[in-house]
Amino acid sequence: MGPAIEFRGLSHRYDTDYVLRDIDLTIEAGEIFGFLGHNGAGKTTAINILTTLIEPTSGTAMVCGYDVVNERSQVTKCIGYLPAEVRMYGHLTAAENLEFFAKLSGVSDPASAVIETLNYLDCADLADRRVSSFSTGMRQRIGIAQAIVHRPKVLFLDEPTSGLDPLGVRQLRETILRLNKELGLTVFMNTHLLSEVSRVCTTIGVLNHGELIYKDSIEATTLRFPNEESLEDIYVRMEGASS
Amino acid sequence: MILTIASNQILALRRQTVFLALLGTLLAMTALAGVLGWSSHQTIVRVYDQAVKILATTGKPAPPNPITLKPTLSLLLNMVVYIPLVGALLALLLGHLSIADDETSGIGRLVFSRQITRTSYVLGKIACAAVVLMAILVASLLVSAVSLLIVNRTISVSDFGRLTIFYSLSWLYLMLFALVGMVMVLVTRRRSLALLSAIGVWLVITFVIPQFTSGLRPTSSLNPITSPVGTSQKFFKVTAYARDYSVAEQYKEASGRILNTATSESIGQTLQRVLPIAGLVIILALLAIRIIRKHDFSRSVNNE
Repeated sequence: MGPAIEFRGLSHRYDTDYVLRDIDLTIEAGEIFGFLGHNGAGKTTAINILTTLIEPTSGTAMVCGYDVVNERSQVTKCIGYLPAEVRMYGHLTAAENLEFFAKLSGVSDPASAVIETLNYLDCADLADRRVSSFSTGMRQRIGIAQAIVHRPKVLFLDEPTSGLDPLGVRQLRETILRLNKELGLTVFMNTHLLSEVSRVCTTIGVLNHGELIYKDSIEATTLRFPNEESLEDIYVRMEGASS
Repeated sequence: MILTIASNQILALRRQTVFLALLGTLLAMTALAGVLGWSSHQTIVRVYDQAVKILATTGKPAPPNPITLKPTLSLLLNMVVYIPLVGALLALLLGHLSIADDETSGIGRLVFSRQITRTSYVLGKIACAAVVLMAILVASLLVSAVSLLIVNRTISVSDFGRLTIFYSLSWLYLMLFALVGMVMVLVTRRRSLALLSAIGVWLVITFVIPQFTSGLRPTSSLNPITSPVGTSQKFFKVTAYARDYSVAEQYKEASGRILNTATSESIGQTLQRVLPIAGLVIILALLAIRIIRKHDFSRSVNNE
């Protein structure tokens, strides 16, 4: 199986400011990748490029073997995306929202796909309720449902734990692990919550001012920094060393 | 995909209170136009009946009933004013909401990470605006027809046809403002600025340009004088030329001809008045398609 995600010499700038500089990165299929970095490091820009929302200034980005610029249609078929702060159409019910996204993804039987997805995520009880009445945790669950309703191969999560209470964070962690194990989804996750990264991710990458300063598996990282107690300590040390 | 976007947007609009309130207002205004027409009709009939009685006592002959001289559709003359005022604002809001909601909520990001092209997306939004405005105007047409039936006891096929053509023209005119609402969201990054800019365009089209092209000549408001000032002066030559492209005025003029309340002219001349409106609608639709291709949906519009 080839890599699920690949960056080759990827750079992106807004006006004259570079937010990503010459990134080379490969993420194998089946991995849960945690993309770490300070605010403004370029993590969300990377996700925006991978989800085809913006085109890179230079270099290439491939998802499932397809170029995000030249083969956008194939890329969008194989990805699911959950942005930070999911809102969706508040006036519509969860099922109506999900059916809309299933149709946009070309699902042949959207209604069945919605029921199946809601049952899979144990939130069928939310189907007929309007999204505007949902708590942050409920929105997050429906957000994940919209991201997987078309059965993608790669799931992009941008700060998925933001606004969640400890129980919500735990539920999300269990869901991510389940999706990875049972559906074989490759997960690319931007996050600040380092305790979750060490529990969920198989690989991490650290971005600092647009440059990828580190990438390795969680095990290798722990072995490389034997004197550090936690991933948080390791991350602080990396950031400190690079700035 | 166009159908999916359009049907979803219609469903969302159906549940929005602000939109429903404006829709109710337009229908209420239509009914009001009918009531005002009926009231005016009743007053004229009463005055005429009294005059006939007085004239009969003095042995003088009664003049013809003025009601029979008035075109039946003149009862709905106020609609020509309400549509550019209330209707155009409703259309602006419709266009604004259809894209601004997706931007501020971040739904645009979710939509464009799917298998949909930006052109299909904007065409879906335009199709939604077209269908919703058509539904509103059909409701308004029915209210107008009922008003006419109440006042005149009958409505001829010809009058109903004219009414249908008038509402078709109104649909085209309102589409113009729905597109203005959409384009303004796509060219600005603040939601409030997008709405204010769209209202600014509405003000210019509805009040400023007519003021420049007709309002500068005070006698132009005296019917039936249409071109009271000679166009020998350069300034008035320009304003007279600009009048042909003033869509608000052309809409009112064409509506007057269609409803048979203004001096009659050939179908070709009336169609010529519709051309600037249709042209502007096409230009704005193409502009929306062009802008959305480069629009950055990864950054949410500021919800202020």
